[in-house]
Order: sequence, then structure tokens, then C-alpha cells
Amino acid sequence: MKPIMLHGHERSITQIKYNREGDLIFSAAKDSQPNVWYSLNGERLGTFVGHNGAVWCIDCNWDTTKVLTGAADNTCKLWDCETGTQISSLKTNTAVRTNGFSYSGNLIMYTTDKTMGFPCEIYIFDIRDGSQLQTGNPMSKVPIESPMPKITSAIWGPNEEYILTGHDGGDLNQFDLKGNWIKGCKDHSGQINDIQVYKDFSMFITASTDHTARLFDMETFEPLKMFKTERPVNSASISPLHEHVVLGGGQEASLVTTTSTRIGKFDARFYHLVFEEEFGRVKGHFGPINSIAFHPDGLSYSSGGEDGYVRVHYFDQNYLDFTFEY
Amino acid sequence: MIYCLVIVKGLGWLLWLFGVRGACCWLWCCGTRSKSWAEQVDFGDEGFLPPPTEDFNEKKGLKTITEYKHNDDGKVVKVIRTFKVETVKLSKSIAKRKVWKKFGAASGDPPGPNPANTVLTEEIQMQFVLNKEASQIDDDDPLSKLPKDGRVKIVQCRICKGDHWTTKCPYKDTLQPLQQKLEEGAKPEIAPVSAPVGPKSTAGGKYIPPTLREGANKGRGESMTMQRKDETATIRVTNLSEDTRESDLQELFRPFGPISRIYLAKDKNTGQSKGFAFINFHRREDAARAIQGVSGYGYDHLILNVEWAKPSTQQ
Repeated sequence: MKPIMLHGHERSITQIKYNREGDLIFSAAKDSQPNVWYSLNGERLGTFVGHNGAVWCIDCNWDTTKVLTGAADNTCKLWDCETGTQISSLKTNTAVRTNGFSYSGNLIMYTTDKTMGFPCEIYIFDIRDGSQLQTGNPMSKVPIESPMPKITSAIWGPNEEYILTGHDGGDLNQFDLKGNWIKGCKDHSGQINDIQVYKDFSMFITASTDHTARLFDMETFEPLKMFKTERPVNSASISPLHEHVVLGGGQEASLVTTTSTRIGKFDARFYHLVFEEEFGRVKGHFGPINSIAFHPDGLSYSSGGEDGYVRVHYFDQNYLDFTFEY
Repeated sequence: MIYCLVIVKGLGWLLWLFGVRGACCWLWCCGTRSKSWAEQVDFGDEGFLPPPTEDFNEKKGLKTITEYKHNDDGKVVKVIRTFKVETVKLSKSIAKRKVWKKFGAASGDPPGPNPANTVLTEEIQMQFVLNKEASQIDDDDPLSKLPKDGRVKIVQCRICKGDHWTTKCPYKDTLQPLQQKLEEGAKPEIAPVSAPVGPKSTAGGKYIPPTLREGANKGRGESMTMQRKDETATIRVTNLSEDTRESDLQELFRPFGPISRIYLAKDKNTGQSKGFAFINFHRREDAARAIQGVSGYGYDHLILNVEWAKPSTQQ
């Protein structure tokens, strides 16, 4: 394959996401301008200008009309995707770590960091209600009390019934929209860097600094599978086409300058979903991969790295023909 | 509903200096007055560049855009970019998004990928990690890959050239002393040790390493015998820590006697010690004392293991 390298950021990538149909890639980085690209040829559609700090998270709604970004400048901004203009800006006390549109695109949630004496909180807004966005009064607000470590990743559950959060210490929790804690589990021993759902919301995969990625059942939190590596896993994605998962990670960013590319293990690693066994690797980044995502059709994937590049890979026929021997 | 649209797909772009091309060897420099009058007539004053041209090959679907610009050194550079134009059927919603106007930092970009942001990289392959156990077996035993019908001789007896190991040769007791006598007899001559056993003819198409070929035997015999001597006073040190240096070993073993060579095994990439080393002493007695003295010695939080080095496989 011939990857397309997207060079629109000056600093390391924090999150990349495809839209529902997969024709656009959204990328957020530690510089202040999130980008949007055509996934087919790597053409840049535009940048969202307005943030003043590292952008930690980005999401777009199901019909690709609105984009949500959360940044370290203590704002979460809602953008119009077609024109790149800002619709509204929600002020927070601390940096916005994760955010997301619900499946319908009517509700948004974001979580904030626990710093400067402020607690980590989940905010949920109904964007149909203009007054909520104007006044900044959320539909509900869930403070994460102190024994529970701060949220490092979060996604919406199915049917907009609950929010799934991954925490600093490796805990997973469910909160309903009123802010009630439903259930939790702690299988990981390190920070959960990323959570991504399977296409039908029946299961999700978590990527953790404890060098593993785990597959969980969405409803029961039952741990289904575990994928082991030798380095922290920053992101993991489940293929919508094959029974494959891809893991991105590598040496911790602080140690990158002292290790060679080969030793740092910055490859994207493909595992079989069921047998938990690695079957393929793709090289390319010269820093750890911070975010990785399968195209919704499963025929390509993208990865964004600490090196500031997004690489779009269209699979060769030999991957699509690959069958796992068992 | 299905819409058609045109998508410009980057194939890669070429860049070269004008002066490099053989046919029109001009080197344009801004700020110098060395231009020929012909150039000035053609292109006017300095700073003026030929307009970009576009060429579209409909048969192949290739679009070639040729642009001229000044590079950092003030030289004129011709940039040729080739695009493949594909027509793709897509859903209506995607087709609508394709014609959105660019915004933000990309607002000034022309249609098609901007080479400043979108770079096509070189071809890479996914490396398949095949079934681990199977691959390990293969690695361990390359013999298993070879045909088993006995046509390929892997093992060859040095005594009778039979298809078995030398030590298991049935003629070991009778033939070997004979050959040794022959060898001794050959020593004072120029022809070295391996002459009687070394393959002499290249017939049969079998590969013979250069050192074993006829005429290449002169220097080899001597060095081989030298090494043989050395190996008798060689010790192997294992369980060394990763940080060990050759100088450390020298410090540690010099008290036992003069050292002729220290070999510390290191990782090619990291330069760190692999945990073992060979030390050649001039005298075997020194080596023996070193083993006595250092074996079991705690060094850098590890307990050293020192023993005689096994002689490397003899030819």
C-alpha cells in the first residue's frame, strides 16, 4: 500500500476520527487548529480556527453537519462542518479531555480535567435547546468524586442511555444521563487512553498504558478478549469488516528521542479479534501512534502519531485475502 | 441516489532543477546579470516565470500540471505534478460534501490535494507475522526444508567423504591416523594443512568459498594455526551486566596475566553488552587462574560465570 501522509499539524496528533460515511477524517492535535480531510485523496477540506490551546478531542455528528472539539484553552466548541464557522463555545473551568456526539446528534457530552482545584466533571448538553448552549447551563453535570480517578476517555453508549468512561487508574464506569453511577469494573491496571465501539455497539475496545487492549461486552462489562503488547497502547480500533483489531502505541512519548524507530515499536499492530494473536504490522510513523481508526467500510485505516502526521492506509489485496490459520 | 463526481488522486510529483536536464542546460540565477539575451526575450525580466501549464490525457486519465517557481537558492525550479483523475460513484451525501468550499487555513488552496499538506509516501507492505510456532520450527531446523531423498548431501565425513558425521565414520580408526601422517608430512611444504582434504576441483558446480579455492591457500593455513593456539587459552565469561565495557574486563582480568584479545559481544543497534565475552590470554596457566579467581565473583550486582571457551567448530 501507498499511505497518504497528511501534514496539517505542527504538533503531535491527539485524536483522529472518521465521519459516519468515512469520506472525511477529522484530526485534532496539540496545536490549536483541528483539521478535516477528504479520506479518499488526502485533500484538506479546512481547518477550524478559534481555539487557543492544544485540542484534545474531536467528534462529528452522524450526518456530518456539526463538529465538536474540546481543548486545553478551557472551551468546548461546536462548529458548522460545511463552512468551518463556530456555532457556539462552551466555557469550562479546566481543559476538556474527551467529548462526543450521541448517535442522534442531539446530545453532546464532554468531560473536564481535574486540575487547579476543580473536580473532573461530565457535562451533557441538549443542542436542540439553544438556551443551554447560550447560557452554558448543561442538561446534567456529573462530578467525579475524589476516590475515583479522573476521566481520560469517554464515549456514548447505545441508544443514548448512558456514557461509558475510562479512567486514569484503569477503571471503567457507566453513568446514566441523570448522572447516576450504574456500574463499573477495573480490569486494566493503567490509564485507559482510548475507547472505541464496534459498529453495532455490542462491544467496545479499550487501550491502556498497562500494555494491553481489552475487548468488553457493552451491556455486562464482561471482559471478552485481551490483546497483549510490550508497550503502552494509546489507541485501538475494531475492524467493521473482518474479525481484526488494530492497536497503536509504542514507547512513551517522553522516551522517544532516546530510542531508535525499530526499538520504539511504533508500528500499527493487527490482531485477530478472536484468537488474540498478532498477525500483521505496518510501519511508518517515527513516533508513537496516538490515535488509530478503521474506515467505516474496513477497507482502509488511518493513524495519527506523536510525529504530527496522519497516515491514511488503503489496504492491499493481500490483507483483504488474508485468512488466519487455526 | 447515485451521483458522479471527479476526484483528483495524487500519484506523486517530480521535481528537478532546470540545469540538470541535458537538452536545455540553463541555470537561471536571480540577481545575476548572466542571462543570455535569448532568455530575456523569452521570459522578460528576472522574477518573471513561465505560466503554469495543464495537460490532461483523457485516455489514461492523467493530469499533468507543470509549474515554475524560485527555490530558496534563487534558482528556477520546474515542478511537474501528475494526478490520476478518477470518476467514482458515491452516495449523494458524500458527493455534496465533495463540492464544499475549503475553509480555514485551506481556503486558498486550489482544487485537488495541496502538496504542502498531502504527501504521497513510498510503497510499504504490511508485514505478516505468520503462525509463530511453525516459523520457529523452520528457523531452528533448516535441514527440514531440504528434500529428504538423499540427493542433497548435507553431512559429509571428512575422512571417507561418506554421508555421515566424521565422528561416526566407520573408518575413523584406520583412515584418520593415516591422514594425520599425511598432514604432518605436508606441513613443511608451502601447501598448507587443508591441502589433502580440501576440495581440489570445482567440478560438479558446488560452491567453494574463495578461501578454499585453489591458489588461495597460502595465507590461510598460518592464520588458522595461530587461532588454534589462541583458543587453548581462551575463557568465556557469562552473566555480565549490560553496562559492561571492554575496559572493565581488561581491568578485571589483567592481574592474572597478559591478555592478547578481549571480545565483548554487543548488540548491533544499542551497543549494549549482550552479557558474555571471550578473553584470550597469552598463557594457558593465566587463563586457568583467571577461571579459578573470577568464577563466582560478584561484579556489578551479578555473579560472573567463567569457564573455558569451547573451541569453535573445527573444519
